Amino acid sequence: MATLPPAVAATGTVARPDPPALRRVGRRRRPSGEPPPLPRHLNASGKWWLAASGLVVLVWVAVAVTGSASLFDAADTRILQAFAGIRSAPLTRVALIAGALATPIAVYLLWLANFAVLIVIRRWRHLFVWIGIGIVVVALGSTLLTVLQRPRPYEVELIGRWAGYSMPSLPITVLTAFLVSTLYSLVPAGRYRTIGKWAICGILVVTALSRLYLAQDHPTDIAAGAILGVAVPLAAFRMLTPNDVFPVTYRRGRTAHLDVTGIRGEAIIRALQDQLGLLATSVKPFNLEGSGGSTPLRIAVKGDPETHVFGKLYAATHVRSDRWYKLGRTLLYGRLEDEQPFHSVRRLVQYEDYVLRVLSDAGLPVAHPLGIVEITPEREYLLVNEFFEGAREIGEAEVEVDDAIIDQGLWAVRRMWEIGMAHRDIKPANLMVRHGTLFVIDTTFAEVPPSPWRQAVDLANMMLVLGLRTSAERVYARARRLFSDEEIAEAFAATRGLTMPSQLRRMLRQQGKDLHGDFLRLLPYRLPPVRIQLWSWRRVVLSIATLVGALLGFLVLISVLGQPL
Amino acid sequence: MRAARAAALLVLATAGLLAGCAKDSTAIMAAPLCQESPDGADNGVILMAQSVPTATWVPCISAALPLGWSFHHLDARNGVARFWLDSDRDGQKAVEVRLEESCDTAGSTEVPSDREEMTRLERVDRMSPAYAGERYYVFEGGCLTIVFSLDGDNAGEALALSSQVVGVLPRADLAAQVRHESGGRLSLDPPPGEGG
Repeated sequence: MATLPPAVAATGTVARPDPPALRRVGRRRRPSGEPPPLPRHLNASGKWWLAASGLVVLVWVAVAVTGSASLFDAADTRILQAFAGIRSAPLTRVALIAGALATPIAVYLLWLANFAVLIVIRRWRHLFVWIGIGIVVVALGSTLLTVLQRPRPYEVELIGRWAGYSMPSLPITVLTAFLVSTLYSLVPAGRYRTIGKWAICGILVVTALSRLYLAQDHPTDIAAGAILGVAVPLAAFRMLTPNDVFPVTYRRGRTAHLDVTGIRGEAIIRALQDQLGLLATSVKPFNLEGSGGSTPLRIAVKGDPETHVFGKLYAATHVRSDRWYKLGRTLLYGRLEDEQPFHSVRRLVQYEDYVLRVLSDAGLPVAHPLGIVEITPEREYLLVNEFFEGAREIGEAEVEVDDAIIDQGLWAVRRMWEIGMAHRDIKPANLMVRHGTLFVIDTTFAEVPPSPWRQAVDLANMMLVLGLRTSAERVYARARRLFSDEEIAEAFAATRGLTMPSQLRRMLRQQGKDLHGDFLRLLPYRLPPVRIQLWSWRRVVLSIATLVGALLGFLVLISVLGQPL
Repeated sequence: MRAARAAALLVLATAGLLAGCAKDSTAIMAAPLCQESPDGADNGVILMAQSVPTATWVPCISAALPLGWSFHHLDARNGVARFWLDSDRDGQKAVEVRLEESCDTAGSTEVPSDREEMTRLERVDRMSPAYAGERYYVFEGGCLTIVFSLDGDNAGEALALSSQVVGVLPRADLAAQVRHESGGRLSLDPPPGEGG
């Protein structure tokens, strides 16, 4: 790597504190074949149900090849005839009522109710998995009906509603899939979910008995439908919304945050020791409300005295969020924000670690990087760095913002300009002060190399944050020691409205003074505002693709919202 | 965030209202052929027989559809079985073939029947701008209705098609087919008087 330009000795800068003294033990290399700290797994029951589905398919193939369908038909018919033998008018009425859940209207209501509930509680990922399951199960069931073409039961009177071929029983398949999906998307894992499983089992037994009594399906149709209806959602929810990553909870908090108790907490402690040689004693979420892109952690590490490190836990879900965020920025600002998304969580963490190291090597007041810890390969990584014990946000009233702090903030921007970087998220929450030293944190959005516009925005945002606690005049006077009037004028020409972080905008509004206007008035001249809306071919194509995607999504939604039976 | 939730609910509600267009997942896309294999009729025909257990005759497709005509889908359920034929000139679902236990033939006129053991009736609802009408075949335990909703100006082709392509099979033949295919183990219908 090329040598970074030396840091200028700017007035007001202070020596960057040394990295924390941490006690480390020997690292341990994970031997080939040993599972990672938190292996990804499909529980035993999930495997059992998938195996049962495979067995059903094998039986279908065997029956087709050997032409032995009539044997199954005969066996099924004898069972149905036994049920028919106990028919009576009152029992038939009971059976018709008992089978109500497998009727189109009941399944439709279950379908819509889940949609509405999942939207209201904003459990989007579970909702999308639900929709996917609905599409797959209905399509798979319909395809199997078409392929297998099994008529309704022979030699017995069919009572009540039925439609189409019978293998697999589509009402049972869809009802089972919907009930299991409801359980896995709405009921927290543990005791309640276990009770729910037994409740579903009871509902299905009653529904199945009703359909057998009424001879609407063969017994084997019901068995195949139930297996299919359990296996698909079980596999989908366990693979796509594993409970340790996307737990179903009704506690308040951002869904982006991972639960670090239980097996994940233990895995993190084990991984920190093996991969970084840090003897962690506790892992606790830290300042969750200030972070939506990762799960921030305060990790206690053994030592004399005990100290803390800061961890950011990233999962695959954060990569998707990053992708959507970047797409949104490109659609909003076009060429100004044309950015390529990360394609894996490993790359995302590597990039942030790299950015932190570049900033640290350049002498910028950022946390000392300590390394990357792999929790689950390609799915979860922990980025570990120094924890600023006792540091306070610059926006807090107790924090004194003097000329030295102002100079440090401005110097940080100047230094980033020199080394060709931009922080891109300068706001009060990302500037910490401790014992007269300013620290810049959260380099997630930092860019190497950034657009000149982005660098200019960093300067204006830094001046606005510093001005919040002091005055425009004071900050401007200090800024002129490091930046020319042209550079400051460019910064304020580039910065307005949406280009400021929302926390900064909110605090400016709360103060009720036009700080931005104050800075503009101090400038000897103004530059025309930098246009935010810059079109590029990429933006045009992405905008069209987004519109088409939204339209297709809407059409799919129309289709899946239709009566599944 | 409240706006996003409201927007999501609005999208959901709109989609829900439009969801009526969704395809029926129990629809059968294979034509119910009278002679699907040397062994007999397609399973769709047997399913139609199960829809109307009293019907002594069951409709099916007895010949290849002429150019410009195609099978739409079959819907067989308790009490009624229907299938539709599409035409590139007379529109989608130009001809509907429906089997029920009974049908309302009010306003129709009896004409000489082209099918044995069946009474044929015709009712013309409209001649212009396009033809709409029904043809009924009433028989023991059932009624076969052929509904014409034509977009084109030449009704003759569709009317002729219904005679040439829409065939009927006696229930007894289907029962024999089931008995044969099950190796003599099963019958199509429950024994008389048992009802199950």
